[in-house]
Amino acid sequence: MLMMPVLDLQFGERIVTLMAALVLVLQIAMVSQRWIVLHIRIFAVQSLLLAMIAATIAWYNHAPHIYIAAVLTLVVKVILVPILFERLVTRMEIHEEIEPIVNVPLSVLIAGGLTLVGYVVAESFYRPDAPGVGHNALAVAISLFLIGFFTMINRRKALTQVLALLSLENGLFLAAISLTYGMPLIVELGILFDVLVAAMVLGILVYRIRESFESMDVSRLRRLRG
Amino acid sequence: MENAAQFFLLLMLSPLVTGVIRTLKARLQTRRGPGILQLYRDLQKLFSKGMVIPETASWIFTVTPWIVFFSTILAGLMIPMVAAEAPLGLFGGVLAVIYLLGLGRFFLALSGMDTGSSFGGLGSSREMTISALAEPAMMLAIFTVAIGAGSTGLTEIAGTAIGQSWRFLAPSQMFAFAALSLVLIAETGRIPVDNPDTHLELTMIHEAMILEYSGPYLALLEWAASIKQLVLMTLLINCFWPFGLQPTWFGFGAVEGICWLLGKLLLLSCAIVLLETVNAKMRLFRVPELLAVAFTLGSLALISTFLF
Repeated sequence: MLMMPVLDLQFGERIVTLMAALVLVLQIAMVSQRWIVLHIRIFAVQSLLLAMIAATIAWYNHAPHIYIAAVLTLVVKVILVPILFERLVTRMEIHEEIEPIVNVPLSVLIAGGLTLVGYVVAESFYRPDAPGVGHNALAVAISLFLIGFFTMINRRKALTQVLALLSLENGLFLAAISLTYGMPLIVELGILFDVLVAAMVLGILVYRIRESFESMDVSRLRRLRG
Repeated sequence: MENAAQFFLLLMLSPLVTGVIRTLKARLQTRRGPGILQLYRDLQKLFSKGMVIPETASWIFTVTPWIVFFSTILAGLMIPMVAAEAPLGLFGGVLAVIYLLGLGRFFLALSGMDTGSSFGGLGSSREMTISALAEPAMMLAIFTVAIGAGSTGLTEIAGTAIGQSWRFLAPSQMFAFAALSLVLIAETGRIPVDNPDTHLELTMIHEAMILEYSGPYLALLEWAASIKQLVLMTLLINCFWPFGLQPTWFGFGAVEGICWLLGKLLLLSCAIVLLETVNAKMRLFRVPELLAVAFTLGSLALISTFLF
């Protein structure tokens, strides 16, 4: 009986590692994706996986407050934000493909390289004796963060940059729950509402940019200079 | 004995797999489809026909179908299908399998150019472009699996896999699986990369190379293509989902092994059919993007075997 929780914890850790790996795969898929609607859906699936990771950690560590974070992630990032963005896409009638600055094969390779960097960085945080889900989830989180940054730099259109920002935030969330078993609930709530508000404000901003420049290409904002 | 059994299995099962994929796909698109056994009938018909050899063709044209067919069969004999023990273990194991398939492809590309028709040349150049990109991804994924087994011999790889059926849940295995699946799509010429159903498209790849063939030679090439598909599918399922794989080819176990193999092939075929139905064919210049993803996944797999 005494062994059971330990076994459980190890099994839970494996599941979390697996799902974290899937999250990373989806992040790379996002880098290679050209269709914005698919991009939004991949983001939704990635967030769903994150919510599942949070729920798994909550279950195996008996930390009920993480459930709330999981449910909030589910509601905000899996349902609200994708619906908001898809409506934005239909309203603005975006048909053209995403055109990254660096071409797609090279960006994917760069994303792979950034993952390696993520691992190297995470390795230095790793302590075998310390509790916590371990360096795998942390490495994935750092990689998500780096790839998210790279995607933001790599895209011209405002909406896709916002999506990259959100996936970057997913990395932060993963780091938080996997390292500390969740920040205090109030912080989680703050971050989530932050994201929601940011998504809405940026959505409106994107719409306005589109209205005044007839394009979402942010490089055209340079014309605002006097 | 087991040589003969696997030889027979490769020859007889491969048209069936192709037929099942075609029928399932037709049903999913609410067509009736040609029936599961159609490829057998096609092969029989083609073998009983005469053939036309272009005047411009050299000896490469006539020798290619044989080389393609037998190198594919040889590769097929080296992979574990029913039992972990492969009937034939040549030097290098899985590397030999990959490069035997490569040999076939090399001659196919040569024969595409041999007749001097512009379609053949186009098909060859496309095929070589894609395979040059697919091969590194495939090697990386295969090495990931080989490191886990400590050997590139397929018998050893499948043997270690038997002990740990749930190993594919490890992240590195999953990356390798994803990479190898993408390579499988590219190598077997399935839909996001190439359309296997038609030789009426300007963007065809495999069909363009064999456009000049007819009669028995065409039958050999078609058969070889479906055997290659079976070989790659079997490689994928037996490396990553070794459920029901028997240690050796003896007695009743072999029957059970065949049943498991058929079940897993059916599952994989369903997945392929779904993928083919929901995706449109990619533009040729988009294919490198898909393969870059496969390559990245493959290298992540290799990296994460050391880091996880």
